[in-house]
Amino acid sequence: MTPEADLGIFAISVAAGLIGALAGVGGGILVIPALTIGFGVDIHLAVGASIVSVIATSSGAASAYVRDRMTDMRVGMFLELATTTGAVCGAMLAAVVAPAFLYVLLGVILLVSAGAQVARLGEETPPTDPPSSLAVRLRLQSSYPDRKLGREVSYSARRIPLGFGLMWIAGVVSGLLGIGSGVLKVLAMDVAMRLPIKVSSATSNFMIGVTAAASAGIYLARGDVDPQIVAPVALGVLAGALIGARLLPRISSRSVRLVFLPVLVAVGLETIGRGLGFGL
Amino acid sequence: MTQERFRLVISTVLIVGVAASATLIGAGFLLALAIGWQGSVLSASPATAIATTDFSNLPSRLAALEPLAITQLGLVVLLATPVARVAASVVGFALEGDRLYAAVTLAVLVVLLTSIFILR
Repeated sequence: MTPEADLGIFAISVAAGLIGALAGVGGGILVIPALTIGFGVDIHLAVGASIVSVIATSSGAASAYVRDRMTDMRVGMFLELATTTGAVCGAMLAAVVAPAFLYVLLGVILLVSAGAQVARLGEETPPTDPPSSLAVRLRLQSSYPDRKLGREVSYSARRIPLGFGLMWIAGVVSGLLGIGSGVLKVLAMDVAMRLPIKVSSATSNFMIGVTAAASAGIYLARGDVDPQIVAPVALGVLAGALIGARLLPRISSRSVRLVFLPVLVAVGLETIGRGLGFGL
Repeated sequence: MTQERFRLVISTVLIVGVAASATLIGAGFLLALAIGWQGSVLSASPATAIATTDFSNLPSRLAALEPLAITQLGLVVLLATPVARVAASVVGFALEGDRLYAAVTLAVLVVLLTSIFILR
Protein backbone atom coordinates (compact mmCIF):
# COMPACT_ATOMS: atom_id res chain seq x y z
CA MET A 1 0.00 0.00 0.00
CA THR A 2 1.25 3.52 -0.84
CA PRO A 3 0.95 6.27 1.84
CA GLU A 4 -1.81 7.84 -0.32
CA ALA A 5 -3.75 4.57 -0.31
CA ASP A 6 -3.21 4.23 3.46
CA LEU A 7 -4.64 7.72 3.96
CA GLY A 8 -7.58 7.02 1.67
CA ILE A 9 -8.40 3.78 3.46
CA PHE A 10 -8.09 5.56 6.83
CA ALA A 11 -10.48 8.36 5.76
CA ILE A 12 -13.12 5.96 4.41
CA SER A 13 -12.77 3.91 7.59
CA VAL A 14 -13.48 6.96 9.80
CA ALA A 15 -16.74 7.50 7.88
CA ALA A 16 -17.58 3.79 8.09
CA GLY A 17 -16.94 3.80 11.85
CA LEU A 18 -19.13 6.88 12.40
CA ILE A 19 -21.98 5.47 10.33
CA GLY A 20 -21.49 2.03 11.86
CA ALA A 21 -21.71 3.28 15.45
CA LEU A 22 -24.93 5.20 14.73
CA ALA A 23 -26.65 2.49 12.68
CA GLY A 24 -25.54 -0.51 14.74
CA VAL A 25 -23.56 -1.95 11.84
CA GLY A 26 -19.85 -2.63 12.29
CA GLY A 27 -18.76 -0.44 9.40
CA GLY A 28 -17.48 -3.56 7.65
CA ILE A 29 -20.50 -3.40 5.38
CA LEU A 30 -19.02 -0.20 3.89
CA VAL A 31 -15.35 -1.10 4.30
CA ILE A 32 -15.58 -4.27 2.15
CA PRO A 33 -16.89 -2.56 -1.04
CA ALA A 34 -14.52 0.39 -0.45
CA LEU A 35 -11.48 -1.87 -0.25
CA THR A 36 -12.41 -4.13 -3.16
CA ILE A 37 -13.94 -1.55 -5.51
CA GLY A 38 -11.87 1.48 -4.47
CA PHE A 39 -8.46 -0.07 -3.80
CA GLY A 40 -8.53 -3.38 -5.66
CA VAL A 41 -8.00 -5.43 -2.51
CA ASP A 42 -8.74 -9.17 -2.81
CA ILE A 43 -12.19 -10.00 -1.41
CA HIS A 44 -10.77 -12.46 1.14
CA LEU A 45 -8.33 -9.87 2.55
CA ALA A 46 -11.10 -7.25 2.53
CA VAL A 47 -13.36 -9.59 4.50
CA GLY A 48 -10.50 -10.26 6.93
CA ALA A 49 -9.92 -6.51 7.37
CA SER A 50 -13.58 -5.79 7.95
CA ILE A 51 -14.09 -8.53 10.53
CA VAL A 52 -11.26 -7.03 12.60
CA SER A 53 -12.63 -3.50 12.19
CA VAL A 54 -16.11 -4.68 13.21
CA ILE A 55 -14.62 -5.70 16.55
CA ALA A 56 -12.98 -2.25 16.93
CA THR A 57 -16.26 -0.44 16.17
CA SER A 58 -18.21 -2.71 18.47
CA SER A 59 -15.93 -2.48 21.49
CA GLY A 60 -15.27 1.26 21.00
CA ALA A 61 -18.91 2.29 20.59
CA ALA A 62 -20.23 -0.23 23.15
CA SER A 63 -17.93 1.06 25.87
CA ALA A 64 -19.91 4.34 25.75
CA TYR A 65 -23.32 2.75 25.04
CA VAL A 66 -23.09 0.36 28.03
CA ARG A 67 -22.17 3.22 30.37
CA ASP A 68 -24.95 5.49 28.98
CA ARG A 69 -27.59 2.69 29.40
CA MET A 70 -28.27 2.62 25.64
CA THR A 71 -27.29 -1.06 25.40
CA ASP A 72 -29.68 -3.73 26.76
CA MET A 73 -27.14 -6.25 28.05
CA ARG A 74 -29.72 -9.00 28.73
CA VAL A 75 -31.18 -8.77 25.21
CA GLY A 76 -27.61 -8.71 23.89
CA MET A 77 -26.40 -11.75 25.81
CA PHE A 78 -29.57 -13.77 25.07
CA LEU A 79 -29.34 -13.12 21.32
CA GLU A 80 -25.57 -13.72 21.25
CA LEU A 81 -26.39 -17.40 21.87
CA ALA A 82 -27.96 -17.42 18.39
CA THR A 83 -25.41 -15.22 16.60
CA THR A 84 -22.25 -17.00 17.83
CA THR A 85 -23.45 -20.45 16.78
CA GLY A 86 -24.62 -19.02 13.43
CA ALA A 87 -21.26 -17.29 12.87
CA VAL A 88 -19.36 -20.55 13.28
CA CYS A 89 -21.58 -22.24 10.64
CA GLY A 90 -21.14 -19.28 8.27
CA ALA A 91 -17.35 -19.17 8.54
CA MET A 92 -17.13 -22.86 7.64
CA LEU A 93 -19.36 -22.23 4.58
CA ALA A 94 -17.21 -19.28 3.40
CA ALA A 95 -14.49 -21.58 2.02
CA VAL A 96 -16.91 -23.29 -0.37
CA VAL A 97 -19.07 -20.34 -1.51
CA ALA A 98 -17.96 -18.31 -4.57
CA PRO A 99 -16.99 -14.59 -4.13
CA ALA A 100 -19.49 -13.49 -6.82
CA PHE A 101 -22.27 -15.01 -4.75
CA LEU A 102 -20.94 -13.24 -1.64
CA TYR A 103 -21.16 -9.86 -3.42
CA VAL A 104 -24.77 -10.42 -4.52
CA LEU A 105 -25.77 -11.58 -1.05
CA LEU A 106 -24.11 -8.56 0.57
CA GLY A 107 -25.95 -6.24 -1.85
CA VAL A 108 -29.31 -7.84 -1.15
CA ILE A 109 -28.73 -7.46 2.60
CA LEU A 110 -28.11 -3.73 2.13
CA LEU A 111 -31.23 -3.23 0.00
CA VAL A 112 -33.44 -5.21 2.38
CA SER A 113 -32.24 -3.09 5.31
CA ALA A 114 -32.87 0.10 3.30
CA GLY A 115 -36.49 -0.96 2.70
CA ALA A 116 -37.02 -1.50 6.42
CA GLN A 117 -35.55 1.93 7.18
CA VAL A 118 -38.09 3.63 4.87
CA ALA A 119 -41.00 1.82 6.52
CA ARG A 120 -40.06 3.15 9.97
CA LEU A 121 -39.02 6.73 9.17
CA GLY A 122 -41.93 8.37 11.03
CA GLU A 123 -41.63 6.40 14.27
CA GLU A 124 -39.58 7.84 17.17
CA THR A 125 -40.42 5.09 19.70
CA PRO A 126 -42.30 1.77 19.26
CA PRO A 127 -45.87 1.39 20.66
CA THR A 128 -46.00 0.32 24.33
CA ASP A 129 -48.03 -2.87 24.90
CA PRO A 130 -48.03 -4.94 28.10
CA PRO A 131 -45.02 -7.31 28.08
CA SER A 132 -45.50 -10.96 27.03
CA SER A 133 -45.03 -13.68 29.64
CA LEU A 134 -41.88 -14.84 27.84
CA ALA A 135 -40.42 -11.31 27.98
CA VAL A 136 -41.15 -11.19 31.71
CA ARG A 137 -39.65 -14.63 32.32
CA LEU A 138 -36.49 -13.80 30.33
CA ARG A 139 -36.40 -10.26 31.81
CA LEU A 140 -36.27 -8.77 28.31
CA GLN A 141 -37.91 -5.49 29.35
CA SER A 142 -36.20 -2.30 30.41
CA SER A 143 -35.91 1.43 29.70
CA TYR A 144 -33.30 3.85 28.36
CA PRO A 145 -32.70 7.62 28.73
CA ASP A 146 -33.44 9.38 25.42
CA ARG A 147 -31.57 12.69 25.46
CA LYS A 148 -33.30 13.94 22.31
CA LEU A 149 -36.81 13.34 23.73
CA GLY A 150 -35.60 14.33 27.22
CA ARG A 151 -37.26 11.38 28.99
CA GLU A 152 -36.91 7.74 30.00
CA VAL A 153 -38.38 5.40 27.33
CA SER A 154 -39.75 2.01 28.52
CA TYR A 155 -39.92 -1.03 26.25
CA SER A 156 -40.29 -4.83 26.24
CA ALA A 157 -39.23 -7.39 23.61
CA ARG A 158 -41.96 -8.93 21.37
CA ARG A 159 -41.90 -12.05 19.13
CA ILE A 160 -38.83 -13.36 20.91
CA PRO A 161 -38.59 -16.76 19.05
CA LEU A 162 -38.70 -14.96 15.66
CA GLY A 163 -36.01 -12.51 16.79
CA PHE A 164 -33.86 -15.40 18.01
CA GLY A 165 -34.18 -17.19 14.63
CA LEU A 166 -33.32 -14.05 12.65
CA MET A 167 -30.30 -13.58 14.90
CA TRP A 168 -29.03 -17.06 13.99
CA ILE A 169 -29.28 -16.14 10.29
CA ALA A 170 -27.51 -12.83 11.03
CA GLY A 171 -24.72 -14.87 12.62
CA VAL A 172 -24.41 -17.13 9.54
CA VAL A 173 -24.18 -14.09 7.22
CA SER A 174 -21.56 -12.56 9.50
CA GLY A 175 -19.38 -15.65 9.40
CA LEU A 176 -19.89 -16.01 5.65
CA LEU A 177 -19.08 -12.43 4.60
CA GLY A 178 -16.95 -11.22 7.47
CA ILE A 179 -19.34 -8.38 8.19
CA GLY A 180 -21.00 -7.97 11.59
CA SER A 181 -24.32 -8.29 9.77
CA GLY A 182 -25.40 -5.45 12.04
CA VAL A 183 -28.15 -4.50 9.58
CA LEU A 184 -29.80 -7.88 10.14
CA LYS A 185 -29.36 -7.59 13.91
CA VAL A 186 -30.92 -4.13 13.96
CA LEU A 187 -33.77 -5.40 11.76
CA ALA A 188 -34.38 -8.38 14.05
CA MET A 189 -34.58 -6.13 17.14
CA ASP A 190 -36.32 -3.15 15.49
CA VAL A 191 -38.82 -4.83 13.15
CA ALA A 192 -39.33 -8.28 14.72
CA MET A 193 -38.83 -7.64 18.44
CA ARG A 194 -40.05 -4.00 18.38
CA LEU A 195 -37.27 -2.55 20.53
CA PRO A 196 -36.60 1.21 20.20
CA ILE A 197 -34.27 1.90 17.25
CA LYS A 198 -31.58 3.47 19.45
CA VAL A 199 -31.58 0.45 21.79
CA SER A 200 -31.53 -1.86 18.73
CA SER A 201 -28.58 0.04 17.30
CA ALA A 202 -26.61 0.21 20.55
CA THR A 203 -27.33 -3.43 21.41
CA SER A 204 -26.39 -4.52 17.87
CA ASN A 205 -23.11 -2.64 18.29
CA PHE A 206 -22.57 -4.45 21.61
CA MET A 207 -23.18 -7.83 19.94
CA ILE A 208 -21.37 -7.60 16.60
CA GLY A 209 -17.92 -7.71 18.21
CA VAL A 210 -18.69 -11.06 19.82
CA THR A 211 -20.18 -12.45 16.60
CA ALA A 212 -17.10 -11.34 14.67
CA ALA A 213 -14.72 -12.69 17.33
CA ALA A 214 -16.39 -16.11 17.03
CA SER A 215 -15.17 -16.44 13.45
CA ALA A 216 -12.13 -14.12 13.52
CA GLY A 217 -9.82 -16.91 14.66
CA ILE A 218 -10.71 -18.91 11.56
CA TYR A 219 -9.88 -15.98 9.25
CA LEU A 220 -6.64 -15.33 11.14
CA ALA A 221 -5.49 -18.94 10.76
CA ARG A 222 -6.43 -18.91 7.07
CA GLY A 223 -4.16 -15.89 6.37
CA ASP A 224 -7.01 -13.50 5.52
CA VAL A 225 -5.95 -10.87 8.09
CA ASP A 226 -3.23 -8.68 6.54
CA PRO A 227 -1.91 -5.99 8.97
CA GLN A 228 -0.86 -3.79 6.01
CA ILE A 229 -4.56 -3.33 5.17
CA VAL A 230 -6.11 -3.93 8.59
CA ALA A 231 -4.06 -1.32 10.53
CA PRO A 232 -5.39 1.84 8.77
CA VAL A 233 -8.88 0.31 8.64
CA ALA A 234 -8.99 -0.53 12.36
CA LEU A 235 -7.58 2.85 13.46
CA GLY A 236 -9.95 4.83 11.20
CA VAL A 237 -13.06 2.84 12.09
CA LEU A 238 -12.27 3.19 15.80
CA ALA A 239 -11.93 6.99 15.59
CA GLY A 240 -15.24 7.23 13.71
CA ALA A 241 -17.02 4.90 16.13
CA LEU A 242 -15.98 6.97 19.16
CA ILE A 243 -17.49 10.10 17.55
CA GLY A 244 -20.68 8.26 16.57
CA ALA A 245 -21.17 6.87 20.08
CA ARG A 246 -21.30 10.43 21.47
CA LEU A 247 -23.95 11.43 18.90
CA LEU A 248 -26.52 8.58 19.06
CA PRO A 249 -28.26 9.49 22.36
CA ARG A 250 -28.64 13.10 21.18
CA ILE A 251 -30.17 12.74 17.70
CA SER A 252 -33.62 11.57 16.53
CA SER A 253 -34.24 8.08 15.13
CA ARG A 254 -35.49 9.76 11.97
CA SER A 255 -32.20 11.58 11.33
CA VAL A 256 -30.24 8.36 11.87
CA ARG A 257 -32.31 6.58 9.21
CA LEU A 258 -32.26 9.55 6.80
CA VAL A 259 -28.46 9.74 6.85
CA PHE A 260 -27.97 6.06 5.99
CA LEU A 261 -30.76 5.35 3.55
CA PRO A 262 -28.99 6.73 0.43
CA VAL A 263 -25.69 5.16 1.50
CA LEU A 264 -27.24 1.71 1.94
CA VAL A 265 -29.09 1.86 -1.41
CA ALA A 266 -26.05 3.09 -3.36
CA VAL A 267 -23.61 0.59 -1.91
CA GLY A 268 -26.18 -2.22 -2.17
CA LEU A 269 -26.73 -1.66 -5.89
CA GLU A 270 -23.01 -1.22 -6.56
CA THR A 271 -22.16 -4.44 -4.75
CA ILE A 272 -24.81 -6.47 -6.59
CA GLY A 273 -23.49 -5.07 -9.90
CA ARG A 274 -20.00 -6.19 -8.96
CA GLY A 275 -21.24 -9.67 -8.10
CA LEU A 276 -23.04 -9.95 -11.43
CA GLY A 277 -19.82 -9.02 -13.27
CA PHE A 278 -20.47 -5.39 -14.24
CA GLY A 279 -17.20 -3.47 -13.81
CA LEU A 280 -17.70 -0.27 -11.80
CA MET B 1 -23.05 -6.13 42.46
CA THR B 2 -25.46 -3.35 41.44
CA GLN B 3 -26.59 -2.79 37.82
CA GLU B 4 -24.69 0.51 37.84
CA ARG B 5 -21.44 -1.08 38.95
CA PHE B 6 -21.91 -3.99 36.51
CA ARG B 7 -22.20 -1.54 33.61
CA LEU B 8 -19.11 0.35 34.77
CA VAL B 9 -17.04 -2.86 34.91
CA ILE B 10 -18.14 -3.98 31.40
CA SER B 11 -17.51 -0.58 29.82
CA THR B 12 -14.09 -0.39 31.53
CA VAL B 13 -13.10 -3.81 30.11
CA LEU B 14 -14.07 -2.56 26.64
CA ILE B 15 -12.25 0.79 26.97
CA VAL B 16 -9.02 -0.83 28.23
CA GLY B 17 -9.04 -3.44 25.43
CA VAL B 18 -9.70 -0.86 22.72
CA ALA B 19 -7.11 1.62 24.06
CA ALA B 20 -4.39 -1.06 24.35
CA SER B 21 -5.03 -2.47 20.87
CA ALA B 22 -5.29 0.97 19.22
CA THR B 23 -1.97 2.00 20.83
CA LEU B 24 -0.20 -1.15 19.61
CA ILE B 25 -1.70 -1.07 16.09
CA GLY B 26 -0.97 2.68 15.80
CA ALA B 27 2.63 2.29 17.00
CA GLY B 28 3.27 -0.71 14.74
CA PHE B 29 1.74 1.05 11.76
CA LEU B 30 3.81 4.25 12.23
CA LEU B 31 6.98 2.18 12.68
CA ALA B 32 6.17 0.26 9.49
CA LEU B 33 5.79 3.56 7.60
CA ALA B 34 9.28 4.51 8.84
CA ILE B 35 11.24 1.27 8.38
CA GLY B 36 8.92 -1.01 6.34
CA TRP B 37 6.72 -3.98 7.26
CA GLN B 38 9.64 -6.41 7.11
CA GLY B 39 11.96 -4.21 9.23
CA SER B 40 13.11 -4.45 12.83
CA VAL B 41 14.04 -1.71 15.32
CA LEU B 42 16.79 -3.72 17.04
CA SER B 43 18.40 -5.52 14.11
CA ALA B 44 20.14 -3.56 11.33
CA SER B 45 19.66 -6.30 8.76
CA PRO B 46 16.05 -6.93 7.69
CA ALA B 47 14.26 -9.68 9.59
CA THR B 48 13.63 -12.97 7.82
CA ALA B 49 10.90 -12.12 5.34
CA ILE B 50 7.59 -13.73 6.29
CA ALA B 51 4.12 -13.16 4.90
CA THR B 52 2.45 -10.25 6.70
CA THR B 53 -0.55 -12.52 7.32
CA ASP B 54 1.64 -15.01 9.27
CA PHE B 55 0.96 -14.63 13.03
CA SER B 56 3.35 -17.41 14.15
CA ASN B 57 6.40 -16.92 16.44
CA LEU B 58 4.93 -13.68 17.79
CA PRO B 59 6.95 -13.52 21.08
CA SER B 60 10.39 -13.76 19.45
CA ARG B 61 9.46 -11.30 16.70
CA LEU B 62 8.10 -8.92 19.37
CA ALA B 63 11.44 -9.14 21.20
CA ALA B 64 13.09 -7.83 18.01
CA LEU B 65 10.57 -4.94 18.00
CA GLU B 66 9.33 -5.70 14.50
CA PRO B 67 6.58 -3.28 13.38
CA LEU B 68 4.66 -6.23 11.91
CA ALA B 69 4.75 -8.13 15.22
CA ILE B 70 3.66 -5.06 17.25
CA THR B 71 0.69 -4.54 14.90
CA GLN B 72 -0.17 -8.24 15.07
CA LEU B 73 -0.10 -8.17 18.91
CA GLY B 74 -2.50 -5.20 18.77
CA LEU B 75 -4.82 -7.22 16.52
CA VAL B 76 -4.70 -10.19 18.90
CA VAL B 77 -5.58 -7.90 21.86
CA LEU B 78 -8.44 -6.47 19.77
CA LEU B 79 -9.80 -9.95 18.99
CA ALA B 80 -9.52 -10.90 22.68
CA THR B 81 -11.49 -7.86 23.93
CA PRO B 82 -15.02 -9.18 23.18
CA VAL B 83 -14.03 -12.50 24.77
CA ALA B 84 -12.85 -10.67 27.90
CA ARG B 85 -16.13 -8.73 27.92
CA VAL B 86 -18.19 -11.95 27.79
CA ALA B 87 -16.06 -13.53 30.54
CA ALA B 88 -16.55 -10.43 32.73
CA SER B 89 -20.32 -10.62 32.05
CA VAL B 90 -20.48 -14.22 33.34
CA VAL B 91 -18.94 -13.07 36.63
CA GLY B 92 -21.12 -9.93 36.70
CA PHE B 93 -24.43 -11.79 36.24
CA ALA B 94 -23.34 -14.40 38.82
CA LEU B 95 -22.49 -11.72 41.40
CA GLU B 96 -25.83 -10.03 40.64
CA GLY B 97 -27.48 -13.35 41.57
CA ASP B 98 -28.99 -13.74 38.06
CA ARG B 99 -28.42 -17.47 37.49
CA LEU B 100 -30.36 -17.59 34.19
CA TYR B 101 -28.18 -14.97 32.52
CA ALA B 102 -24.98 -16.22 34.14
CA ALA B 103 -25.75 -19.58 32.44
CA VAL B 104 -26.69 -17.95 29.09
CA THR B 105 -23.48 -15.91 29.10
CA LEU B 106 -21.38 -18.93 30.08
CA ALA B 107 -22.85 -20.82 27.08
CA VAL B 108 -21.89 -17.93 24.77
CA LEU B 109 -18.36 -17.98 26.23
CA VAL B 110 -18.05 -21.72 25.58
CA VAL B 111 -19.18 -21.35 21.92
CA LEU B 112 -16.79 -18.42 21.48
CA LEU B 113 -13.77 -20.26 22.90
CA THR B 114 -14.67 -23.41 20.94
CA SER B 115 -14.79 -21.47 17.66
CA ILE B 116 -11.55 -19.63 18.38
CA PHE B 117 -9.41 -22.53 19.58
CA ILE B 118 -10.89 -25.68 18.06
CA LEU B 119 -12.51 -24.81 14.73
CA ARG B 120 -9.52 -23.88 12.59
